[in-house]
Amino acid sequence: MADSTRPALEPRASTRPALELRGITKKFGSVVANDRVDFDVYPGEVHALLGENGAGKSTLVSVLYGLYTPNEGEIVVDGRPVEIDSPATAIRLGIGMVHQHFMLVPVMTVAENLVLGHEPTRSGGLLDLKAARARVREISERYGLAVDPDATIEDVTVGTQQRVEILRALYRGARILVLDEPTAVLTAQEVQELMDVLQRLKQDGTGIVFISHKLGEVLQVADRITVLRHGRKIDTVRREGATEQSLARLVVGREVLLTVEKSQAHAAEPMLVVEHLHVRDDRDLEAVDDVSLSVRAGEIVAIAGVDGNGQQELVEAITGLRAPAEGRIVVDGHDITRKGVSAATDAAVAHIPEDRHRRGLVLPFTLAENLALREFRRPELSARGWLRTGRIRSRATALLREYDVRGGGPDAYASSLSGGNQQKVAIAREIASDPKLLVAHQPTRGLDVGAIEFVHRRLIEERDRGRAILLVSLEYEEVRSLADRILVIYEGRIMGEFAPDASEEELGMAMTGRQAAAAG
Amino acid sequence: MSVGAIAVAPGRVGAPRHLGIAGLILAVVAWVITLPPMLVRTAVPSAIIGVLAMLAGAIAFVGDERRLGSGAIGLGLLAIAGATGNTNSSVAHLKVVFTWSILVAAMLRYATPLLLAALGGIISERSGVINIGLEGMMLMGAFFGIWGADVLHSWVLGCLVAIASGALLALVHAWFSIHLRANQVVSGTGINFLALGITGYFFIADYGSNGTPSGISQVPGVKLPLIQHVGFFGGAIGNANLLTWIALLLVPALTVFLFRTRWGLRLRAVGEKPRAADTVGLPVLRTRYFAVVASGMLAALGGAYLSDAFVGSFNQNMTEGRGFIALAAVIFGKWRPVGALIAVLLFGFASALGDRLPTFSQSAATLFQALPYVLTLIAVAGVVGRSRAPASVGIPYVKE
Amino acid sequence: MSTLEEQTQGDVLAGEEDGGSASLTTPARLGAYVRRGGVIVPILTTLIAFIAGGLVVLVTGHDPFSTYKAIFDGTGLQWVFPWVTGSARSTAAFNLQQTLIATTPLILVGLAVAFAFRAGLFNIGGQGQYTVGGIVSVWLGSSFAGLPPVLHITVAVVGAALAGAVWAGIAGALKASLGVNEVISTIMLNWIAIWAGVYLFGLGGPLQDAHQPSVPTSSSVSASAKLPVFWGNAQLQGLHIGLFIALAAAVVFWVLLNRTRLGYEVRAVGLNPDAASYAGMSVARNYFRAMAICGAFAGIAAAMDILGWKFSLFTNDIQASSVGFLGIAVALLGRNTAIGTVLAALLFGALQTGTSDRFLDPSVFNPNLASNLTWMIQGLIVLLVSTDVIALKVLHSGRGVSLVFKRRAAREEAGR
Repeated sequence: MADSTRPALEPRASTRPALELRGITKKFGSVVANDRVDFDVYPGEVHALLGENGAGKSTLVSVLYGLYTPNEGEIVVDGRPVEIDSPATAIRLGIGMVHQHFMLVPVMTVAENLVLGHEPTRSGGLLDLKAARARVREISERYGLAVDPDATIEDVTVGTQQRVEILRALYRGARILVLDEPTAVLTAQEVQELMDVLQRLKQDGTGIVFISHKLGEVLQVADRITVLRHGRKIDTVRREGATEQSLARLVVGREVLLTVEKSQAHAAEPMLVVEHLHVRDDRDLEAVDDVSLSVRAGEIVAIAGVDGNGQQELVEAITGLRAPAEGRIVVDGHDITRKGVSAATDAAVAHIPEDRHRRGLVLPFTLAENLALREFRRPELSARGWLRTGRIRSRATALLREYDVRGGGPDAYASSLSGGNQQKVAIAREIASDPKLLVAHQPTRGLDVGAIEFVHRRLIEERDRGRAILLVSLEYEEVRSLADRILVIYEGRIMGEFAPDASEEELGMAMTGRQAAAAG
Repeated sequence: MSVGAIAVAPGRVGAPRHLGIAGLILAVVAWVITLPPMLVRTAVPSAIIGVLAMLAGAIAFVGDERRLGSGAIGLGLLAIAGATGNTNSSVAHLKVVFTWSILVAAMLRYATPLLLAALGGIISERSGVINIGLEGMMLMGAFFGIWGADVLHSWVLGCLVAIASGALLALVHAWFSIHLRANQVVSGTGINFLALGITGYFFIADYGSNGTPSGISQVPGVKLPLIQHVGFFGGAIGNANLLTWIALLLVPALTVFLFRTRWGLRLRAVGEKPRAADTVGLPVLRTRYFAVVASGMLAALGGAYLSDAFVGSFNQNMTEGRGFIALAAVIFGKWRPVGALIAVLLFGFASALGDRLPTFSQSAATLFQALPYVLTLIAVAGVVGRSRAPASVGIPYVKE
Repeated sequence: MSTLEEQTQGDVLAGEEDGGSASLTTPARLGAYVRRGGVIVPILTTLIAFIAGGLVVLVTGHDPFSTYKAIFDGTGLQWVFPWVTGSARSTAAFNLQQTLIATTPLILVGLAVAFAFRAGLFNIGGQGQYTVGGIVSVWLGSSFAGLPPVLHITVAVVGAALAGAVWAGIAGALKASLGVNEVISTIMLNWIAIWAGVYLFGLGGPLQDAHQPSVPTSSSVSASAKLPVFWGNAQLQGLHIGLFIALAAAVVFWVLLNRTRLGYEVRAVGLNPDAASYAGMSVARNYFRAMAICGAFAGIAAAMDILGWKFSLFTNDIQASSVGFLGIAVALLGRNTAIGTVLAALLFGALQTGTSDRFLDPSVFNPNLASNLTWMIQGLIVLLVSTDVIALKVLHSGRGVSLVFKRRAAREEAGR
């Protein structure tokens, strides 16, 4: 309780925390997502909650916002113990939330979204949208958050949507603002604008909880930083004196040395050649902007960048899932531009997708059926429209053994496997198709350390067998430890090529587009 | 137009759009001038106007108003064909079929039950629950409305009994689709079967093979003293049924409710993105319960109109798919009350015309019955403008 | 009942809906749950529906036991008991023939709905596909008199299958090309088909029977197109060979789904369209193919009725028919499997026969009441299978072990 914050750490601005979480424990069955976590935030400070994916940050925030009821512990707001059983209660207590996935109604206007649930009305329950618009303008001017109250949410940028979320919290009288991974979807400029807004809110006395797994931005914005690991609070430190290294050690629990044993690459002839590729996203906006690159046999080329900078569209174009607007994709001499997945498969392109539940596997299918997805058209697996079920099954048995997939045989459902074993199935299938080019899109997303090691080792092995590998990853460490060359992508453009030993600063600059500004 | 309405359909008003609409209107004109009272007896003017309509449509099409444009072209073609047919028919026949006041009165009669059910459908779907069970809820209202009026000797009480029966069945649908997170289409299908069984069972148990007796208290018409005897208006709306007027008044009322009140805003938010509504503290499940039950009440009132005002008796499965037409009207009208009104008037007009067409041809009259379904199929295919359903319709909401 | 889902949601924060189940289509989720729980769930569902129906009978002043007994006697199912002899046996045999005649089209329309479910589609259009199948088969069956019987029957059946396939294919094509929801389009197509049939065979219609100008009906099927009767008296509507065609169709259904590339693709598309297109399958094309196959099943169903015992098509019969709608109940109760569909069709076929005024003893229970009782029971069954409430109740009680296992799996999922 009292020892949750060391007296020396308390900011001078206020003596009493606006919000305190004391000894919060939240279990899901036997899984402990939060284990006696203490956390507090004072008015006028930014307190960052730092930790890896799955460290328990989201659970803690959900407890705070009334989405989960904690098994143990108490929440204290302005010195009074409270029970938060729903978002409505949290709002009433002055807790505002900016969700990672915005909680806005796309077809409604900014003003309508802002007032939803707290609408100003005239007599007879009629909406007073004039008053709503006036409120939008008033708050947005006060905090310098410019928005058009009559714009429809689905028509405005992600940055604007986030502003609406912040404005909504303020409209509801939030004195404590919780931002869940707020920069994940923003452009570099939008991030800077957000930081400015947070400064103004701070001066205004708002207590801010800033959730992130990015060390740099936490050091930039936070006054204090609390690190979570495996559901436990590891430490709370002041920004002064903290460095990326010291924080990283707290987050990971050891010196960051995630390098993979690998020999020098023996790159041979180019296997994938992409020329002046332009790809549009679902909203018909240019997502990939004039990308040219090549991957040679026997090397791993990594595409590094912040999520949402065109990686998905680039991968989809190369693997035939999305037709590019312009440009050329050539694999081993075969032009597969706009020819679809089958043509890519025929040209020996394999693809480990980023989301194994969405694309990588048909969860209600058996493992044998899943393992046949890439090659079911080949004569070994089907002939004249008939499936050769015996061969499909025996091949599956062999693959499951080779890749050490645990949790079931060829007739087990994919849904019954753990995440790591599911990913092994997807990887087994793709590598078994004997690809010349392997596109691995975030191949270790959501896996535990053991499984990550397996995937990394396997990718290096396949490289050494002479396959060309295009790795798309959001993880610095993964990119630097696996790649032979690193291409940084920002807003759909390749910002430059780096060697794997490039400094974090160099890469970071390129990934936030600053190099482009310098270059012109 | 309300702000909310604008928010749903950001208006992109431009010349091609206007041209497309003009083309549609011209096409209608081309057809109408060959009918009473104008009765142009040569197809030439119609052909000219029709070609103009198609031209306007073609320009609109080129100007990227493809759906409106192709609609105008198609309608223009239809109008020329129709007008040619008219000019080849005898004036006497045309006058029998196209007695406008009678046609309009009949159109309103056919449209009333559809409108009530469609308004119910709009409420339910706007909240995110598909209501395939409209048909069954109408049927409940149709039987229990006349049964209530018979047993309680009052059409008012009959209507209340109908509303209660519809609400009850809707509650079942709500419980399954909201609480138990059933597949809403399957649940609605079950509701329809159930209503068919319940109404048929009690109809036979209470009335046997004789059917409902005559002399049951019926929902009265509203005699408008001023215009009751004024030519066209007198015939068309001078003695329309009370429920017709109620249904028509519900259109602006529901529009205001949905787009101008806080409750409407919340209802729509729940149907579009329930998680967002939940995080701002709105009761998603309760809102949906309210909407589904309200839709059952309205649909049942439509059913009561059918038995206790329109026909004056009940027979098994008497709704005969009207719930599905109402559903079509919801989609055709793009989940808006005014849109649904236009749709049911169109469908009602087709039925009214179908009633009178046997003068020409029995089989042609039959084909007219299929018109609402064909039009809706064309509408959902996007020719009239892509309808966009509430984003979360049909998806059960799982609270965290 | 929500534990499983909540578990899998686990650490997912508000709004993040990309958990495992969210990537499945709605019919796929439905399909997945109906495959859980084995035979216990459908049996329990049926039992609950019958008990509820019995309560209605009781409340309205009748004896539910004697009512159900009389309905059972009407089905002719007691024929399988060796102790039923003499005239009771021949009556039972006749009744059973009628039950199986009713079962035949139900199997086929059930397959039509089930195949769609397996492709992630909801085919409410069984009725329309059945109707166009009936129109075409009666037209082909009454034309070309004098063809060799095998050929004539083949022509009429294949024609009906094609007609159904085309009709369902419209919905499939609209879905594939424009993304039109198949629920809406198939409902609309149902009514268009019905009114088209009423137009064609109605008075003054182009296909109305010229021999009976005042009767709104089709011409009669010529002898060469009638399906042979293999059990009972052909004059007294004995059992035609359509039953074997329906059973063969169930086998085709299974083989198609489980042993062919088409079935593999259809199932993959149905369970996870994203993964299917990732594997190079065309989702749109498979939607179309699946719908066309559904329509063919429903079209054949109509041909069995027309060529097997109806021999002509009255317009009021077109309007009153509900075989296609019942297909939904049959498929759902049969858990979208071939064998399940056959068994569910037998149940509904028996109910239909047992409650009809020809076979239910009116001194025990009014057949008009009974047929409505059937609707109630069917409605309850569909309602109960629309949710997983029973499935999970069964898992909770009888299969505690498997539930614990699933919970653990869910938790592991949640932990990542």
